[in-house]
Amino acid sequence: MNRREALFSLGTIAASLAVAPGLGAVELKGVPHDTQLSDDHMPQPAIRSGGFLVLSEAERRTLGALYDRLLPADEYGPSATEAGCLEFIDSQLAGHYGAGKALYLEGPIRPESELQLMGTAQFLASPLERYRSGLAALEAYAQRVDGQHLADLPAERIDALLGEMEAGRLDLGQAINSKGLFELLLQNVREGYLADPMYGGNRNMAGWKMIGFPGARYDYRPYIDRRGENLRLIPVSLIPAD
Amino acid sequence: MKNWKKIATGTALVAGLAAVGAAWMAVKTFDTSRSAVADDTVPLAQFRSTDQAAIVRGEYVMRLGDCAACHKADFAGGYKIDTPFGSLLTSNITPDTQTGIGAMTERDFFNAVRQGIGSHGLLYPAMPYTAYTKFNDRDMHDLWAYLSTIAPVNKPIDENAGMHFPYNVRLAMAGWDMLFFDNTPFIADVTQGKDWNRGKYLTDGPAHCGTCHTPRNLLGGERSSAYLQGGRLGAWYAPDITPNPLTGIGHWSVDTLTTYLKTGSDDVAVAAGPMAEAVEHSFQYYQVDDLDAIGSYLKSLPASAAQPGQPMTPNAQRMKAAALTYEVNCSACHGLEGEGIQGMVTAFAGNRRMLTDDPTNLLHAMLMGARAPHTEARQTAAGMPSFAWKMNDQQVAEILNYVRNSWGNAAVEVKPEQVAALRGELGAHQKLAVPEPVSVK
Repeated sequence: MNRREALFSLGTIAASLAVAPGLGAVELKGVPHDTQLSDDHMPQPAIRSGGFLVLSEAERRTLGALYDRLLPADEYGPSATEAGCLEFIDSQLAGHYGAGKALYLEGPIRPESELQLMGTAQFLASPLERYRSGLAALEAYAQRVDGQHLADLPAERIDALLGEMEAGRLDLGQAINSKGLFELLLQNVREGYLADPMYGGNRNMAGWKMIGFPGARYDYRPYIDRRGENLRLIPVSLIPAD
Repeated sequence: MKNWKKIATGTALVAGLAAVGAAWMAVKTFDTSRSAVADDTVPLAQFRSTDQAAIVRGEYVMRLGDCAACHKADFAGGYKIDTPFGSLLTSNITPDTQTGIGAMTERDFFNAVRQGIGSHGLLYPAMPYTAYTKFNDRDMHDLWAYLSTIAPVNKPIDENAGMHFPYNVRLAMAGWDMLFFDNTPFIADVTQGKDWNRGKYLTDGPAHCGTCHTPRNLLGGERSSAYLQGGRLGAWYAPDITPNPLTGIGHWSVDTLTTYLKTGSDDVAVAAGPMAEAVEHSFQYYQVDDLDAIGSYLKSLPASAAQPGQPMTPNAQRMKAAALTYEVNCSACHGLEGEGIQGMVTAFAGNRRMLTDDPTNLLHAMLMGARAPHTEARQTAAGMPSFAWKMNDQQVAEILNYVRNSWGNAAVEVKPEQVAALRGELGAHQKLAVPEPVSVK
C-alpha cells in the first residue's frame, strides 16, 4: 500500500464511522433454545467398509509409491501409506472434494494469465479426474522411459521424477501440468497425514504425535503458564474411537 | 336363574349408583356459578378496557400465568405440544372474532381459563386450567382487561387435529375432568400469614408449578399425594421441589430460590429445558416479593420422603480416562474443578441438582444440547452443544458418571442403556461412524 492508498483507506474508515452510529445495536430476543447440530453442520468421517471407493489397485500402487517418497517412514513416524493417506485421499476423492464441488470448473481458461493472476495454475478438471489422468500418465512415463511400473522403481529414481515434476520439467504430455500435479499430491499427502483420524488418515494420530499437536482440544488455559516444557499432551481426535 | 337375577339386579344397582355419582361429579366439575361475577354481554372484540391500572395489573397476571409461553408472543397460538395422546396446537387467544376469542364474553373467558370449558368444546388439560382454576376474580378481571388491548390476529388454528382417536373428541375430556379436575377456588388458610397464602396462591395457581413438578398417573392426572415431589415430564425430569435436603430444595435459601427464578441461575445451577422457558417468559417478570412468597411457601411444605439411591463405586482407571474426556470436551466452560461459570454455566461441584437418581436432564443436555434462559439479569443465554454425534452411549454414561462422582459428588451410576433409551426417544443423532483404529505395524 502506498501513501496515496493509505490516505484513501483512512478516508473510507472515517466515512464508515460517520455512518455507523445511525445503525444502532439490535437487541437479540427469543434466542433459539435448540442447540442440536443440523445434518449439514456435521463432519463427514471417511466411510471405511474395508474396500476403496474410487482408486483402483493399480492407481493405489502408483500413488502409494509417490506418497511414501514425499513422506517416508523414519525415526519420527510411519510413512504416508502406513498412516492411512491412501484411505484418506480415496475417501476425499469419492466425495465433494474429488468432484470439485467447491471449484469453478467452466471455461474460459488461459493458462498464462491464470498463472499470473492467481499465482498458481488453474484447471477445468476435478481433483478426481486430475488424479486419474496424472497417475496414468506417470505410470505410462515410467513404463516408456524406465521399462518398469513406477511403483517398482528405486526410491532415488522416484525422488528424481518428483524433483522434475516440482520444477515443472517432467513432460507428461499436453494434458498434464506436472508441477500442478506435484503440488496436488504434496498438499493431499500432508492433509492425509495431519487431518483428524476420522477422515481416514493420520492413523493412530501419528502425524500429530510427530509434530507435537495435541489435537481437537478446546482450551489450553491449564497449561498457559507452563513455558519451555514438553507438556506431553495426549492427542485427541474430534470423534474419539469407541 | 336366581343367581343371574341377583347379579343383574346388583349390576343395575351399581350402575345406578355410578350414574348418580357421575351426575353429581359432573355437576360439581362443570358448575360454572363462580363465573357469574363476570359480564356475559360484551364480546371481547367489542370491548376495550379504559382502566389503565387494571390493564397494567393484567399484563402482570399474564406474566404470572406464562400465557405467552404457549400462546406465543402475539397470543395467536399455534405452538405445538406433544402429548402421549397426540399433538395439540395452542389456540389463538387474540380478540379476533373469526379465529381468536373475540366472540367470548368475560364470563366465557372465566369458564375457559378456570374450568377448561372453551367456546368450541372442552379444553385439553395441556392448558393448565387445573391450576388456573385457583385464579381469583380480580386477577381474571385484570387479565381480561389486558387481553382487550391485544391486537387481533386472524390465524385459524385446528387445535386437536393432531390428537389420536379417541382423544381428538373433546367430550372425552369430560371424563378426565370428572376424575382429575378439582373445580374449587383458592381458599386462604387463615392459620397462615399473608405471604404464605400469596406463595401458595402463586404456586398452585398462576405459576402452575405442579403441572410439571407433581408426578402424573397413567391418564395424565396429577398425583396429589406426591405434591411437588418431582417426576418425568416427557424427555425432561422436573425435580423434587419440596424441602427434602437431598433430593429437593432443602438446602436452598429463599434468596437462592428467588435469584434462580428471577435470573435463571443461583450461581451454581442454571435452568434449562422447560424450566429455562418458564424463567425466560414468566419468572423473570415476577416481582421479588412474589418470588420470595413462592420460596417461603415451598420451604414450609413437608419434605418428601425420597432417599437418593446408593452411589456407585467409581472405577479408578475409568475415572482417569474420563478425566481426559472431561478436560477436552467440558472443562473450557464447566471448569477444571467443575466450578462452572457463575450465573452462566452450570457447576458440577457441589451441585446437588446434578445428582438426582434420575439422570434424564443431564442425558438430555448431552444428547440435544441445552440453553440457559435469556433474562434481563443474565443476557448471555449460554448454549450447551449436543454431544450425540461424537459420543456413544457408553461414553456419555462415563462422562456423566465422572461429573456425578468427582469433586465430592456421589450419585447412582448412569447406565449406557439409559442413554440409549433417551437417544431413541429424542431421535438424537447416533455417534458418527469413524474409521476403525488400526494397530501400528
